[in-house]
This record gives sequence, C-alpha cells and structure tokens, in this order.
Amino acid sequence: MTEPTATPSAPRDPQTPAITRRANPLLAHPITSVAIGVLVAAAILGTLIVPIYARVTPKIGDWPFFYFYLLIYMPATALVLWIVTLLQRRLVPAKADGADSAGTAGDPVPGGVR
Amino acid sequence: MSHVNAVVFTIVVILFVLVTVIGFAASRWRRADNMLQLNEWGLAGRGFGTFITWFLLGGDLYTAYTFIAVPALVFASGSIGFFAVSYTIMAYPIAFVFLPRLWSVCRVHNYVTPADFIRGRYGSRGLSLAAAFTGILALMPYIALQLVGIQAVLTVMGVGTSSTNTWIKDLPLFVAFVVLAVYTYVSGLRAPAAISFVKDTLIYVFVLVAVFYIPTRLGGWSHIFGFAQTHFASISPATKKPLGTFIPTSKSIGSTQFDFATLALGSAAALFLYPHIITGTLASRRRKFVKRNMSLLPAYSVLLGLIALFGYMAVADPVTAANVKKAGNTQLAVPYLFQHMFPSWFTGIAFAGIIIGALVPAAIMAIAAANLFTRNIFKEFFKPDASPALQTRMSQWVSLVVKFGALLFALELPHTFSINLQLLGGVWILQLLPMLVGGLYTRWFHRWALLTGWAAGMIYGTIAAYNVSNATASHWASSSDIVFGHTVYIGFTAVVINIVITVVLTLILKATKAPEGADETLPHQYTADPEQAPVPAPAGVGAVSD
Repeated sequence: MTEPTATPSAPRDPQTPAITRRANPLLAHPITSVAIGVLVAAAILGTLIVPIYARVTPKIGDWPFFYFYLLIYMPATALVLWIVTLLQRRLVPAKADGADSAGTAGDPVPGGVR
Repeated sequence: MSHVNAVVFTIVVILFVLVTVIGFAASRWRRADNMLQLNEWGLAGRGFGTFITWFLLGGDLYTAYTFIAVPALVFASGSIGFFAVSYTIMAYPIAFVFLPRLWSVCRVHNYVTPADFIRGRYGSRGLSLAAAFTGILALMPYIALQLVGIQAVLTVMGVGTSSTNTWIKDLPLFVAFVVLAVYTYVSGLRAPAAISFVKDTLIYVFVLVAVFYIPTRLGGWSHIFGFAQTHFASISPATKKPLGTFIPTSKSIGSTQFDFATLALGSAAALFLYPHIITGTLASRRRKFVKRNMSLLPAYSVLLGLIALFGYMAVADPVTAANVKKAGNTQLAVPYLFQHMFPSWFTGIAFAGIIIGALVPAAIMAIAAANLFTRNIFKEFFKPDASPALQTRMSQWVSLVVKFGALLFALELPHTFSINLQLLGGVWILQLLPMLVGGLYTRWFHRWALLTGWAAGMIYGTIAAYNVSNATASHWASSSDIVFGHTVYIGFTAVVINIVITVVLTLILKATKAPEGADETLPHQYTADPEQAPVPAPAGVGAVSD
C-alpha cells in the first residue's frame, strides 16, 4: 500500500525521452515563465483586490468607475490569457511527444536541444 | 389562461419546438459505431473542437441563475450582486491554471467524472464517494433553480391556469421538462451541445439589444446609475438601514469590499469544480481547445456584466419596480423589465432565450449527476463488473430520475428554498477544492486528511448558512456571515477550515505512516495531449470488458 507517491517533477521512466526532455520547461525559459506567472496573477488580483476599483469617481462617460472597471476588465482578462497561451507555446516544443501537433511547421525551437 | 399575449406565446412555443427537434436530431450528430458507451452518451464522444466547446461551455456556465437570480440580487441589494461579474472574471485565469491538467489526466485514464479522478489518484473509494455525493447534492438544487427561472418567465407571460393544484397550475413547466428529460435520455450530451447554439445566439441578441435600447427609454445610463445610487442610499422603513449599497463599502460589516472579494474568489474557485462544467470540459477533443476557450469564454462574461445591470434598469423603471413589488418576488425583475420595455415579438425572443437558457444547463447537470451516480456509486459499490452498455443505460435512467427529483423540488418546496440550497451548493462544491485541485499538483495530502477536512467544511458551511438571519428571515438569509468582526462568504471560511484540517492531519498521518493508497496516475499524464480518444474501457480497477 505504501507505493512511492508520484510528484509532478519526477518522471523516472527512461523509456520516454520526450517526457524527460520536457521535464522542466520552466527552468529552460525563466523569463517567459515569470511573465506567464505575473500575467495570470495580475488577471486574478485585479478584481480580487476590490479597493482598487470600489469608487464612484472618476466617471467614464456616464459610468461610475466601479462598473466601468468591471466591464473593461473582462475583455482585458481574455486578452491576457490569450497572450499567455501564445507564451506557453514557447515553453513546450511542438514536436514533443503528445504535445500539440498543429504548429509544427513554424516551430522556432529545435527539438532535442534540452 | 388569462392575460396571455398571443405574440409572445407563439414565438416562445415556436422556438421551444425548434430546440426540441434539434434535441432529438442531435442523437444522430457525430454518431459513433457503438453508442452504448458512457463516453458517447455522457461526453458526446469526447470529440468537440474549440468552436463547439465554446458554445457548450458558454451554454453550461450561464444558467437561469445568471439571467434571473443575479439581476434579482442587484435589484434587491445593489452592488453586492456584481460579485458575480467579478467572479466570472477570476474564474477563467484560475481555471486556466488547473483545468488543462484535469482534462489531460481524465483523457489518458478515460475518467468520466471528477470522482473517477479522485479514486484513481488517491486509491480511495471513500474519498471518491464523498466527491460524488457532494456533486449530486450540489447539482439537484441547481437544476431546481433552472426550473424556478423558467417558472418566473412563465408567470410573467401569464401562462398557467388559476387552479390551486400545483401540478395543474404548473402544467406548462411540467410539459417543458418532460420534453427536456426525454431528449436528454435519447441524445445525451449531444442534445444540450446542439441546442446551446440556439441558446447562445438568442442570449447574445437579446442582451445586446436590451443594453443599447433600454437605456434610451430610461433617460440614459446617467439616469439609471444616478437613480440606483439614490435608491440604495435611501433608508428602509422596515430595517432603518439603507436599502442596499451602490459601491461595496470599506466598513467591516455589511456589503463590504471584503465580503465582495471572498464571495467572488470562492465562487470563482467553485465554478470549474461543478461536475456539469467538468463534463462540458471533458467533452473537448484536445488540451489546447480547453486552454483556448479560457481566453475565448470571457467574451461571454462581458454579457454577464451587462445582465447584472438589468437589475439597475429594473430599479430605474417605475413600472417594473411597481410590478415586482406587487408580486413580492424579486426574481420577476428581469421578465417584467423586458415585458414593459420591448414590443411583444421581441419579448417573445427574450423569454424563449431565458427558457432555453435554463434548459441547456439543466440537461448537462442531469447528465453529470447521472454519470456520478453510475460510475462512482452504482459501479463502485453495487456492480463492479457493470459493462459499458449497462453503465450507459443506467446513466440514461438516472438522468430521468434526477430531473423529476428536481421538478418535485421546484414545485413542492418554496422557491426561496431552491435559491438558498443553490447558494449552499456553491459552499458544498468548494469543499472539493483541496482534493481535486490539490490532487492535480501533489500527492502530498493524505486521503484520510482530505476526507476529514471535507467533512468539516461541509458541516461548518451548512450550519453557518442555516444560522444566518436578517430582518425578514430567521434562517438562510444570506451566503455571508460575520467571522472575527468581518462579513465574509461562508464558503470561503469553510474551505479555509477544510484546508487547515487537511494540512494538519496530513502531517500527523505521515508521521504515523498511515497507508497512503495507490496512485494510478503518472506525472507526465497531467500534461499529456493524446490525439486519440481513450480506449472505451472502464477506468479504475473494474474488470475490463468490452
């Protein structure tokens, strides 16, 4: 019953080199990884920290700030997550086993470098 | 049937018949060779692309709660209702982080329900049962709430007889639901997926028209916001307090910023833990489609922000406000607003949109609840050797039972009860957070600790919600209560208690070397993106029989 527990950072099957290669894409692209983390956190914190926008003024047109902020934040979140998906493509080489098969043609990252 | 507007009624009936035809025809859509697989009936073959997933998840996420209950809350209390806008904004970045991992591991192991994953990850039938039980418990009142939404529209339409017998009075609702139940039985997830195209189109049209047209009738946005601000600041003669808030306050008690934030965060985290949302996600063909949808679905949320504003429009329109007051039911705010503002033909389209908008999620919820029962209760505890065909038939029948249970719920119990239970459903479902989301990243948590933490969160949340009172209700008055002098969402407190207990007990259980249970998942499976659908064999330990 006491099998070794599986932790996400420890693929240990030598038969799957593609997986081993992708084991730590975060370390291979530190700047991209940090950017992704910051963007996702900002998308969440921007509405979570209510004091930022819980005010009537400044009004934008007829809209009190609170309502305008919430309205604008939604498309902004969509845009941020879209950028994050694009950034994530740089982390995972498209040729890697089981990864997205589309986009192989324009892949700037040569497989097998790591 | 008195005061029924013939134009409104005709348009609603025509659109209802249209979606009924689509619902039955959907059984032939993307048809597989062997339909007696739970992957087929319950997940539509796991083959949906970005486009269909967008419509399906959009149709799944936005329910009668969104169209009726959120504006009703804004109508009654003001800005606190906008937590719903904040939570749908936060839900996508949160889901973006963990949902692709859940999709991958479920795809590789052919898990159909979230409880399947829990079972495989922790090797614990008890924990899996807890997850399935929570899911079904939270879904039942949610389905009932869809009915309450449909009923609100039918009431304003004047449909229904004056009979005092509930069943005769609500005959139209009964008919609508039987039809829904039958085509869900026949077509499975394909029916709501196909109908969601009609739903989402209708919703988009009526919301956009309403948002641009209604303010012109009410003296513009400045009048709507100005009126709401004055209205909610005025003192209620009953409670001697302001009627509501226009902006969340920085005080510690009441409709505060902290309450707003915890409500939003708790609901955002809970949203993608609901089994029916996971069902919609698992029906997607590729991992990247799930990710892509997290950035495409906020386009739908923009609508939600606008729908919440209908609450203020209803406040600013004297006729609607008077109608709602006369009926004594804030849930009628949106239907009355549309009826007063729009010409009959467009009211018909809007009402049909709300009714169909409630039918789509009701169908997916019934499918999700049926899958949970079949996979994690029936197969797990009663018939471990159930064949895929038997599981499918079982799920089909259970989906009928679930729907009629919800119908009974909606017709026999007071409506406030469904709404309270739905709020409680959010508190309950949030208690799956440590085991489900935690389990996607680490096996550190001990299964017995998770089970204890879950039980503590469920019990605390239920008792705390029961004890909330206000001037008009002695129980279930709100989904927030006061902890350490601050108003806070009950689900938030409950899940914090849950996590603390889980961590402390895990440390103790690890120290005493309590058995951890087997883990059938492997690290790389959480990022896998297999192109081929998993082999249609039952996951878990059950006998592999084709």
